[in-house]
Amino acid sequence: METLSLLAGGFAVALTPLNIALLLLGCFSGTLIGALPGLGPVNGVAILIPLTFAFGFDATSSLILLSSVYFGAMYGGRISSILLNIPGDEPAVMTTLDGYPMAQRGRAADALAISGVASFFGATVAVIGLTLFAPALARAAIHFGPSDYFALYVLAFITIGGISGVDPRKTLVSALLGLMIATVGLDPISGIPRYTFENYHIYDGVDPIVALVGLFALSEILMLLEKAAIDRAKPIGLDSWLPDVRTIWTTRWAILRGSIVGFVAGVLPGAGASLGSVMAYSMEKQTSDKDGTFGKGDPRGVAAPEAGNNAASGGALIPMLSLGVPGSGTTAVMLAMLISLNVQPGPLLFERQPDLVWGLVASLYMANVALLFLNLPMIGLFSRLMLVPTWALMPIVAAVSFVGVFSISNSGFDLQLMIAFGVLGYLLRKLEVSLVPLVLGLLLGGDMERNLRRAMSISDGDWSVLIASPISITLYILTTAFLGLSIWLARRDHKRTQIRNFEG
Amino acid sequence: MKIFTTTSTTLAAALGAAVSFGAPASATECIAPSAPGGGWDFTCRTIGRILTELDLVDGNVQVTNMPGGVGAVTFAMVATERPADEDLIVATSTVGITQIAQGRYPAPVDTMRYLAMLGADVGVIAVDDDSPIESLEQLTEMLAVDPGSLVTAGSSGAGGWDHIRLLMVAREGGLDSLGDVRWVQFDGGTDAVTQMMGGQIDVVSTDLGEIAGFVESGDIRILAALSDDPIPAFPDIPTAKSQGIDVTGYNWRGLYTGGEVSDEAYDEWVSDLETLYNSEAWQTAAVESGLIPIWRGGAEFSDFVIEEAQAMEEISRDIGVIE
Amino acid sequence: MTVRLAGVAIFMIAALYTWYGRDYTASFGDVLGPSVFPVIVGIPAMILSASLAVFPTGQVQWPDSPHMLRQVAALAILLGYALLLRDLGFPLATFGLILGIGIVLGGAPLRAVILAAVFAPALWALFDQVLGLPLAFLGRWFD
Repeated sequence: METLSLLAGGFAVALTPLNIALLLLGCFSGTLIGALPGLGPVNGVAILIPLTFAFGFDATSSLILLSSVYFGAMYGGRISSILLNIPGDEPAVMTTLDGYPMAQRGRAADALAISGVASFFGATVAVIGLTLFAPALARAAIHFGPSDYFALYVLAFITIGGISGVDPRKTLVSALLGLMIATVGLDPISGIPRYTFENYHIYDGVDPIVALVGLFALSEILMLLEKAAIDRAKPIGLDSWLPDVRTIWTTRWAILRGSIVGFVAGVLPGAGASLGSVMAYSMEKQTSDKDGTFGKGDPRGVAAPEAGNNAASGGALIPMLSLGVPGSGTTAVMLAMLISLNVQPGPLLFERQPDLVWGLVASLYMANVALLFLNLPMIGLFSRLMLVPTWALMPIVAAVSFVGVFSISNSGFDLQLMIAFGVLGYLLRKLEVSLVPLVLGLLLGGDMERNLRRAMSISDGDWSVLIASPISITLYILTTAFLGLSIWLARRDHKRTQIRNFEG
Repeated sequence: MKIFTTTSTTLAAALGAAVSFGAPASATECIAPSAPGGGWDFTCRTIGRILTELDLVDGNVQVTNMPGGVGAVTFAMVATERPADEDLIVATSTVGITQIAQGRYPAPVDTMRYLAMLGADVGVIAVDDDSPIESLEQLTEMLAVDPGSLVTAGSSGAGGWDHIRLLMVAREGGLDSLGDVRWVQFDGGTDAVTQMMGGQIDVVSTDLGEIAGFVESGDIRILAALSDDPIPAFPDIPTAKSQGIDVTGYNWRGLYTGGEVSDEAYDEWVSDLETLYNSEAWQTAAVESGLIPIWRGGAEFSDFVIEEAQAMEEISRDIGVIE
Repeated sequence: MTVRLAGVAIFMIAALYTWYGRDYTASFGDVLGPSVFPVIVGIPAMILSASLAVFPTGQVQWPDSPHMLRQVAALAILLGYALLLRDLGFPLATFGLILGIGIVLGGAPLRAVILAAVFAPALWALFDQVLGLPLAFLGRWFD
C-alpha cells in the first residue's frame, strides 16, 4: 500500500489555496481554448508553458495548471463536437457520432452532462489503474512489437467498419481515402517525399487538425447553405436547460465498459486516446445497439467513447512516465510539459521523483473533479449556444477555425488545404459516406504503415513475422471473431426488418 | 440583439479571465521548425526563457512552431520573406544540416548566418543488458562477417543521422557492404530502446540524452560513446576512439538567423548568446536534458557548420544515401 | 447517377495514387520500401470504388442553382480570406469573412456588419494579446 500513501502525499502537496485557484483557472481557460475549433489540448498546453515560466511557479503548481488546461481543453473539444458537429481534437471525433444528433433533437444538455460524467469516470478508472498496476503494466507493454501493433491497427480498422454508414463499402472507401492521405509527405523511414508534388508545405504530411476542421466545420457551412434561408435563420432549439439524471444513469454500463476498453488501449505505447475512443465506441455498439439507435443520438454512444478516451489518456501516462515513450499527440504534450519542467520521464522516474509522479497523478485527478463541478453548472450556458441563429454562429466558427489553424502553423497554405477538405467533406456527406473512418485512417494510417514496415525490416522481408507472436495471433483471432459477430448481427437485423416489413 | 449577448458573454468572460495572465507582446521571435515537443522546440523554449530571465531581450521571447519538411519550410520562409529580420532566431541542429547536405532543403547551407552552438548530445551504440555482445569490437566483427545477422535501429530513417553514425562505425570496423545492415526506424530513441528491451531488435544507435535513464537503471548497456572525450555524466562509458574506432557523432543544438542580417546585429546576438551560454541557468538546463554544454560562436561556428555540411555530403555519397 | 460518378472519380484517384505509389523506391536500408503500403491501400480502394460505380446505392439530391450559387459565394469568400489574410492583416480580413459568410447564410446585412465589427477585433485580441499567438494587426499592404 506504499503507492496509496504516496498518492495521498501527492494530494497533500497539491491541495494548497494557490494550486486550487490555478486548477480552476486552468480548467476554465482550457475549456474555452478547447471549445474553439482548431485549438486543442496540444495548443492549450503549448500556449501556457511559457506563462508558467513567466510567473515562476514551482514544478507542482505548473503541473497542476498545465494538466487542468489539458483536461479542460479535452472537455472543451467535446462541447464543439456535440453542439456544432465539429470535433475540437482528434479523440473527440467519435463523440460527434451520437452527440450531435442528440443536440439536434434538443438534448444538448443531456449529451454535455453525459460527456462530463463519463469523462470523469474514465479518468477515475485510469487513475486507479495507474496507482495499482503502473510498473507491472509498463514492463508488460514493452513486449508489444511492431507486428503486434500492426495487428492492433488491423483490428481497429475492422471495428471501424461496423461504426456507421448505410453501405459498408462506403465506410471502407472512406477509411481507405484516409489511409491514402496518411501516406502524403516525407516518409520517415526512407526519407523520400511521397505525393508532395514538390510542395514543401505538405512535406510533414497533412496535419490532422487541418483535415478535421475542414471536413467537419467548413462542410457544415456548405450543408447549411442548402437549406432555405428561413430554416437557416432559426436556431436548433433546446428541450431543456437541465440534464436529465435518469438518462445519465442509463449509460452506467456503457461508461464502465468504455473505461476499461479505453484504459487497456491507452497502456499500449503508441495506441493513445483516439484508438481508445474508437474501440470503446465500436465495442459498445456491438454489445448494446439492439434497436439500431446508435448514430442517431443514443446516449450510450456518447458515454462509451468519452469514458474510453479519458481512460486511455490516463492509461497512456503509464508508458509515458515509466518509459518516456510519447505514444500519441496527447501524451507528447504531457512529455513536452514535463521536459520543460526539467523532468525526464524514464524507468527511474518513479523511484527518483515519486513526489512529482504522484503529484501529477493527484493533479490530473483533481483537474477531473474540478471539471465535473465547474462544467455541470455551466451546461446551461454552453447549450444556449444552440439558440444562436446559424447566420451569426457559423461565421464566427469559420473565423475561429481559420485563425486557430493559422496561428499554430503560420501557413496560408494550410488554410487553402482546409477549404479543400471542406469541399471533400461536403461531397462525401452528400454521398452518405461517413467522415469518421476517413479521419481515423488519417490518424492511424501512418503508424499502421510504419509498424508493418518495421516488422518486415526486422524479419528481413519474411511476411510470416506478422503472425509469429502470441499477441498478434490473439489480436487476429479477436478480429475474426468481431467480423463474424458483425456479419451474424447484420443478418439477424436484416431478417427482423424483413419480418417487420412483412407484418407491417 | 439578444443573440449577441449569450455569445459575447462567453467571450467576454474568456477575455476577462485570460487578460489577467496575458503575456506582453514582444519583438523577439524564436522559430522551432517542428511541432511542440522535441529538440528544436526545447532549444527555442529554453533559450527564450533564459534570454528573458537574464534581461538580454525586452519582454518575452515569442516561440513559434513552424513544422514542415524537417525544417525546410522554415528555411525557405526565412530565405524569401525575412532574410534581414534582426529579431528572428531559428533553432537547428546536426539533423537539419544533414538534411541540407543531402539536398533536401530548397537552398544551400550558406543562405543563412549561423549564430552559435550551445550544446550537443552525444551519439551512442547501445545493446540490451543481457545481450551477448560485450564490446564495440565484437559488434563490428559480427557486422563485418555477416551484416544481416543483427537488427539495428534508431530514431532516424534510413540515411538519417542515427543510421549514418552506425554505418560510419561499421565501416571503420571493416564492413564494406554497408547496404546489407538491417536498419529499423522508430519515432524516437526511447521507442527504439523499449523495443530492444522487448527483444525485437539487437542494437540501438541514437543520442544519449533521451535514453540516459535506461543506462542508469541498468536496462541497457552502452558499448561506445561517439565523442572525443568521455561524457562527464557517464565517465565509465568508453569512447569509440578508445576502442580503436575513430568515429565521432555529435548532435549539436544551435541557432541561425537570416542571411541579410547586419554584422552589428549578428555580433550582438553572438555576444548575447555567449552570455546565455555562460549563465548558470543554461548550464543546468542543458545538463538536465542530457546535453553537454559546448560553445562555438560567430565566424568559428559558421565555418564549422559549412565544413560539417560538406563532410556529411561526402559520407552520404560514400555510403550511398545520395547519388 | 451521382454515386456512379463519384465511384468513377474515386477509382481514378485511387488508380493514379497506386500508379504513382509503385515508383517510390528507397536506396537501401528499408526492406519493404515506401511503395508497398500505397499499393496495399490503393488496390482495394480501386475495387470498392469500381463496385460503387457499377452497383451504386443511395440517392443524392443536389441543391438548386440559387442555393448552389450561395455555396460558390461562400467558398469564394473562404478562399479570398486564405489568400488575402497576410496582405490585409487579421482584423480586416476577418471582418470581411464574418460579414460575407453572415450575409450568405441569410443574416440581415446591418446585423452582419455589427457582428463582424464586434468579433473581428475581439478574436484578434483573444489570440494575439491574450493567448500570445502572434497575428498581424495590419497586413503587408499597409507596410
